Amino acid sequence: MSVKKNRNKVLMFGWEFPPVISGGLGVATLGLCKALSPLADVKMIIPKSVPNFDIPNIELIGLNSFTKEQLQDLFNQEHEYSFHEPKFNGKSSYGPYSKIPENEFISQKFYDVLHEDIKPFEIDDLYAGDVIKKVIEFARISVQYSLRQKFDVIHAHDWMTFLPGMELKLRTGKPLVLHIHSTEYDRAGEHSKNWVYDLEKRAMELADRIIPVSHYTGSICERHYGIDRNKIKPVHNGIEAVKHTVKKSPFDEKLVIFFGRITMQKGPEYFVEAAKLVLEKHQNVKFVMAGSGDLLRPMIEKTAAYGIGDKFYFTGFLNKVMLNELLAVADVYCMPSVSEPFGLSAVEAVQYGLPTIISKTSGVAEALTGSMQIDVWDVQKFAQYIVAALDYEGLKKSVVEANNHSLESITWENCAQQVVDVYNSIWEEYQA
Amino acid sequence: MPSICFYFQVHQPYRLRPYTFFDIGHNHNYFDDQKNREVLNKVSEKCYLPTNRLMLELIEKHQGKFKISYSISGVALEQFEAWRPDVLQSFIELANTGCVEFISETYYHSLSYIFSRDEFKKQVDQHRQLIKKYFKQEPKIFRNTELQYNNELASVIEGMGYKGIICEGVDRLLGDRSPNHLYKAPNVHNIKSLLKNYKMSDDIAFRFSDRNWSEWPLTADRYAEWVHSIAGHGETINLFMDYETFGEHQWAESGIFEFMRYMPGHVLKHPDFDFKTVSETVDAYPVRYTYDAHDFISWADTERDLSAWIGNPLQDESIAKIYSLEKQVYDSGDKLFIDTWKKMLTSDHFYYMTTKYWADGDVHKYFSPYDSPYDAYIYFMNAMSDLSIELKKKPIPKLKK
Repeated sequence: MSVKKNRNKVLMFGWEFPPVISGGLGVATLGLCKALSPLADVKMIIPKSVPNFDIPNIELIGLNSFTKEQLQDLFNQEHEYSFHEPKFNGKSSYGPYSKIPENEFISQKFYDVLHEDIKPFEIDDLYAGDVIKKVIEFARISVQYSLRQKFDVIHAHDWMTFLPGMELKLRTGKPLVLHIHSTEYDRAGEHSKNWVYDLEKRAMELADRIIPVSHYTGSICERHYGIDRNKIKPVHNGIEAVKHTVKKSPFDEKLVIFFGRITMQKGPEYFVEAAKLVLEKHQNVKFVMAGSGDLLRPMIEKTAAYGIGDKFYFTGFLNKVMLNELLAVADVYCMPSVSEPFGLSAVEAVQYGLPTIISKTSGVAEALTGSMQIDVWDVQKFAQYIVAALDYEGLKKSVVEANNHSLESITWENCAQQVVDVYNSIWEEYQA
Repeated sequence: MPSICFYFQVHQPYRLRPYTFFDIGHNHNYFDDQKNREVLNKVSEKCYLPTNRLMLELIEKHQGKFKISYSISGVALEQFEAWRPDVLQSFIELANTGCVEFISETYYHSLSYIFSRDEFKKQVDQHRQLIKKYFKQEPKIFRNTELQYNNELASVIEGMGYKGIICEGVDRLLGDRSPNHLYKAPNVHNIKSLLKNYKMSDDIAFRFSDRNWSEWPLTADRYAEWVHSIAGHGETINLFMDYETFGEHQWAESGIFEFMRYMPGHVLKHPDFDFKTVSETVDAYPVRYTYDAHDFISWADTERDLSAWIGNPLQDESIAKIYSLEKQVYDSGDKLFIDTWKKMLTSDHFYYMTTKYWADGDVHKYFSPYDSPYDAYIYFMNAMSDLSIELKKKPIPKLKK
């Protein structure tokens, strides 16, 4: 009914991007970008690009690739910044990525960055060192650049890119879409009222649309950030279709696996507690905890204290190839995350035909409706599901069948189409 | 002289308790007595007692012109006797009016016809004995669990001496024929098939309180008009439904009791219409057409087939395994084992395991006491594992020479 807008020109801001990846954010940003390219013109601005890594139909701009001369040219006619650090009004806490500094330090950082001489943007590890300063630098340069570009809509992925998103919305009046892959609430828990939280909240308030990766995350935006639900439009992530071959396990025992960062958010403790219960009844099983994080040592100690250390493998961080090896021989996949915006790794497990046990407080629970779903605190139930998935063929088959059915619609194409629908909903509103 | 033939289904299963893996080997009590009692009490207060009172009132008021039929599962009757003898008593009072007929079914409301013909016959016989004991009637009409039915069943039931069998009037088998006549399977001699008029049954059982329904609110006289409109081209309107329609599925606040209180009077205003029990209906009217149900039908879901109970891996495995214990259970000669095993054959256990709709996220379509079909399956499998272990422990009694 409304006038269908021509291809949207999307100015997108990302932080992680392959091949420079740290977590799921990079995979998701790339997946969406690729699938969007037939539907929209995407100019993607990221901190760091790698020569010869191109994506067809996507204009990929790494800030690290600007030379000093190019930057000087841009800043010759520097537009003054209107953005200021969001007001900080709570206590500081720590996220898994970095320590969030006190507020006065952040003001100082803004001051420093905005008064520094122009120099090429350099970043090694996206989450190491002074991340906040890098985020501000990223904002300063990318805003200067973007003000000279043509675009219809601004699309920013997670808090690291919200500063330029907000600034450009204020300067140009172009609509701002925020893609929420994870919030400070997920990472730091209930009491995460720090600078990042404030940044997220201010950006969400300013945004025209918010695209959380799940209804679960959408409800966090609504409840913990006080955002109007009418502008929250959840869109599930996709996954690239891969057909994996399952291998014969070299182990005599069945393997129950957990993988991801070993942090409070991922619920490794519940996995150990459930394992303890399972082992009371079931000896022919081993548990694998793959990944690293601040709770790795405590988990190793816990299994030792329970006297089940010999039933556990702690592999440390696994790269993609090793992870695939593990998935190919595993019997049951567990994701007891306390709060998980989406949880793409569960979908990877599904691609390997594993029965999946996932927490209800995860976005992927909405997409994999046929998975066994637990309240993470219900360790008894968790243990029962593990045992049943090991022992009862009918259950295993049923979960796998249902998961395969769900998998058909978990595609980046679906995701991209829904994102375009969100853009168009803005135009419809403007016309109305 | 067209009739209305009411048949109400009364059934309550013995639900399994959340029987965990950790119970196996220690705890041999699989059934959730507390929950089953709670449900029975709740439904007794909301439905069975007030509806039985109303039916008795109607029978007395219309002096023999209002008649109804019931099929009450053996497991429901057992639970009434144990926990709500007042409800059992009120059914006996209804039986004593002479205007109420009781229908034959499998004692355990089971799928045994499909999975064990021996067990099926045992259960039908066990149920007959119970009906005789409480209601002093010899059932002449049979209905299978959830109106599961096919041609072969009709002929088996004829062989067991029945003169009528109840089934669903399925559109795909009826074509443009009306369900308001008596039918006959192609392979039987005399046994007549009574087909449910699902449209007019569901107007009461499902749509009555639906405010989006164009006919809402449905009044007794309006419904009677629909009934009267079949005059001249129909002989019986078979209104078959769960008894829990009254007060449980349709709440008292919806006006369902008032509807039922006045509807018979409005129907009887037309001198050509009356109410008949199932066997009176079979006696009164001739067979008009053949009803050819080669494959199984039932009264469940839009598919009207067996897919609510059979077909997913959870159901297939648990059903196959529970029936595979049959010989072992009987060989044990242990009454408690036999009783426990039979209670586990009740179809509801497998219904709770259905994943139809559920995989698409529609969790409300099916009523279940459990959080998910997986839980239903796991508790069942755990309990069955324990039963199986216990059976193995027990020495098989030697046959006397």
